[in-house]
Amino acid sequence: MELLECINLEKSFGNKKILKNINLKIPRGKIIGLLGKNGTGKSTLIKIINDLLTPTSGKVLVNGKEIGVESKKIISYLPERTYLDKSMTVDKVINYFEEFYDNFDSKKARKLLKDLGLDTTQKLSKMSKGMQEKVQLVLVMSRKADLYILDEPLGGVDPATRDYILDTILSNFNEGASVIISTHLISDVERILDEVIFIDKGKIILTSDSDELRKKENGSIDEIFRRMFKC
Amino acid sequence: MLKKLLKYDLINIYKFLIIFYSLAIFFGILTRIFFSIENSFILNIIGQICSGAAISMMFSILINNFMRLWVRFKQNLYGDESYLTHTLPIEKKTLYLSKIITAIITLFTSVLVVALTLFIAYYSKDSIELIKGMLLPLANAYNNKVIIILFLLLFVLYLQFMNMLQCGLIGIILGHKKNNTKTLYSVLFGFGVYLVSQTIILIIIFLMALFNKDIMNLMYTNEMISLSSTKLIVYISIIIYTVILFIEYIIGIKLLNKGVNVD
Repeated sequence: MELLECINLEKSFGNKKILKNINLKIPRGKIIGLLGKNGTGKSTLIKIINDLLTPTSGKVLVNGKEIGVESKKIISYLPERTYLDKSMTVDKVINYFEEFYDNFDSKKARKLLKDLGLDTTQKLSKMSKGMQEKVQLVLVMSRKADLYILDEPLGGVDPATRDYILDTILSNFNEGASVIISTHLISDVERILDEVIFIDKGKIILTSDSDELRKKENGSIDEIFRRMFKC
Repeated sequence: MLKKLLKYDLINIYKFLIIFYSLAIFFGILTRIFFSIENSFILNIIGQICSGAAISMMFSILINNFMRLWVRFKQNLYGDESYLTHTLPIEKKTLYLSKIITAIITLFTSVLVVALTLFIAYYSKDSIELIKGMLLPLANAYNNKVIIILFLLLFVLYLQFMNMLQCGLIGIILGHKKNNTKTLYSVLFGFGVYLVSQTIILIIIFLMALFNKDIMNLMYTNEMISLSSTKLIVYISIIIYTVILFIEYIIGIKLLNKGVNVD
């Protein structure tokens, strides 16, 4: 049974079709890059998987079951925006995650936050956007989930921190778990990807093993992406 | 999970309301103190100002309670925070139930604080006699004490508040099913649902009026209706509101279960 499966998935807003007949299987134990230009449907697909959008047609199965309480227990999702209650301190947010997620490891979260030099007594509203994003990433990666979905995790951070974030992702996800990273900053994430999915105009145009694709096209994923999506 | 959700919902609402509760009681006490000092024109003026402040705080409590509940619902289920809310391993009906229980508790305490402020600021033998005088005929009709009638009328008002609140919540859910101008649609749908609920109540009262000439007079004339008919209307109102609140609750859950579309 696949960890995640999208079957004939479509999403429209009014007359505008955002996702067109998406069929996708995500196996266990892989780091997968969901790559595409801005506005090609990456975030829409991720939002549907996380029950934030309702598909127009088709379905999403997680461990063979439709999206619901059970799937949410095993998916750890990092959205592209800051989504925590900003009136809370980091300590309170940790308590919140501890209360609602059985698989949340607060010790790990505190250790990672300490490594990043973040003060857990500080209110989120007093932190910069970059700091808030780091807190969110730590919280998401401190869950022992089966599937981590990270939507643009490198978007708002400086290049030095990007490496730290990628290392955090690599060293903190469970064995047997999978990670989906949606990004357009391909050169930054390329080194950690096992598989890639290229998405364009709401359609999946390529699914491949990273190494095989590099060999076949004789170039880096970033170069292949640039060639395919040249304006 | 419901307990945990409730804890956070109640903290969120009360952290704002507590300020208005404190101010209302504070001005209520000042009103009492300044009005109790006789033969001082200036202190009487200050008392009037405090009285005005206490009354405006009482209105603020109710308005803020409604606004906070609606805003919290919108932020939690459709705003940035919805990215956390909808990914929690919790059923949507539990999310909705938590909001409703929060509304029941906070509106109840708000009505209590308003009543307490009124009591602190304006309690006197004369005012009690005035209320008794107004409600005594009604109490006699019910074979009850005045205080029970007062609570019964407050309860009908409370149910009406709950109805308004749920109409707003359903309006927000329906409004956010649209692709654009969601806030405007939320307000329009909220009003729409409220109008429908009030029309249903009116239709039921009208049907009752077909069998009760006294109630029919209420619809066409300014005449006072008999106490027994008033009693009937109060009881029927409580039943109708309770049924409507339950139906609205089911509709809210059904609509949420159909899924959300978060921006």
